[in-house]
Amino acid sequence: METFNGPDLLINGVSKAGGGEYGKVKIDGVGTVEGSVASVTFDANGITKVHGDLITGELDSDGIFRVDGLLTARKMKIDGKMKVKGSLKADYCSANGILNIGGDCEIEQFDMHGAFEVQGLLNAGRMELKLQGRGKAREIGVESIQVRQASRSVWGKLWSWMLPKFSPELQVTVIEGDDIDLEYTEADIVRGNRVLIGKGCSIGLIEYRTELKVHPGAKIGKEVKTGG
Amino acid sequence: MEQDLISKKDLLDEKGISYGQLYRWKRKQLIPEEWFIRKSTFTGQETFFPKDLILTRIDKIMNMKDDLSLDELADKFSPLLPEYEMRKVDLLKRNIVSPVVIERFASGDADGVVYTFDKLLYFYVVDKLLQAGEMSMEEGERLLQTLRDHFPKFDGKPCDLIFIRKMGVSSFALLSVPADLYYESGVKLIARVSMSECIEQLKGKWV
Repeated sequence: METFNGPDLLINGVSKAGGGEYGKVKIDGVGTVEGSVASVTFDANGITKVHGDLITGELDSDGIFRVDGLLTARKMKIDGKMKVKGSLKADYCSANGILNIGGDCEIEQFDMHGAFEVQGLLNAGRMELKLQGRGKAREIGVESIQVRQASRSVWGKLWSWMLPKFSPELQVTVIEGDDIDLEYTEADIVRGNRVLIGKGCSIGLIEYRTELKVHPGAKIGKEVKTGG
Repeated sequence: MEQDLISKKDLLDEKGISYGQLYRWKRKQLIPEEWFIRKSTFTGQETFFPKDLILTRIDKIMNMKDDLSLDELADKFSPLLPEYEMRKVDLLKRNIVSPVVIERFASGDADGVVYTFDKLLYFYVVDKLLQAGEMSMEEGERLLQTLRDHFPKFDGKPCDLIFIRKMGVSSFALLSVPADLYYESGVKLIARVSMSECIEQLKGKWV
């Protein structure tokens, strides 16, 4: 991939381009790619749409980014809004803003600041969440997860009071992992090895293997210790 | 044919692995997506696995993970055909396919001829069924033809080979999995062979 000598794709302003294999892709402005793209790097500033799948080594997006198919990247850095209709696969993903994934998510290391929604399974190695809005996933499976609320400004508080959709909490049916450290999370079931439940949590059932700590302010339905 | 299933929780308890490991292996494609079967139970949605498949797979991973990296393991389990090739003489020398099969089905090829992985796979499957004593030589010929004609159409997707017989008349079929298959009475299922399994076994012979 590194030594690929294909053409580069450069868009400045408002334009459309065809899919295919590229070395570097750089889009400033409003760019649309018709079809699937494979590239070594993909740098997008502004509004970018890919009508197909995107496979790239390094993805850097500032602004609004939309992929109609699957997104596979080794390393990705998102500032702004991103929407992927299919699944997302990455080794490293750092996102600041709003992330919307229609399928499953597989990320080795996932740092998220903002709000997100994953329709399917969110499968990550290490996951750090700083929520400024709502985080939502059907299921989360991880090696380790940490959920925190980002410090909130007065305006943020006002927003979440007016629109409950913006209230910074994580909503998920099941969280399964080895190291689980949660705050402001609403889940039906949490299963893990070491489980820390912080303030603002509401959990239906906790199954833990070695350790469980619960903040007095958290609402827990039932606690079960499993294994030996 | 109802598959025996095991729940995720029972699997982890039985094998002594953690959620993190399971999800990690899934991310590395060591455990195929289609084995994760979601079913609703009285406690809500639960994930189940085909019991025999997942137990043998986990055993294999646990045995090999000290010697190989996870990425190397993933290559081994991948249902895609690798770019391995082998000459006919080596095939015999390394005893991958029995001499009888070579004699019967490849006598026209010179000793130096190089077989690609898919060709080898066909011989391997035929050899396997012949050795199990379930199939005659003539049927082997037809099986080989079936595989040549239809196996490439699956294009890396997992599939099973079905071998049935009714009133002494045999036939072969390939079907993509997971699939349930029901037969009329009088049909005897002689063998159902997972092609992915065969690919894995054959790949194992290279090391």
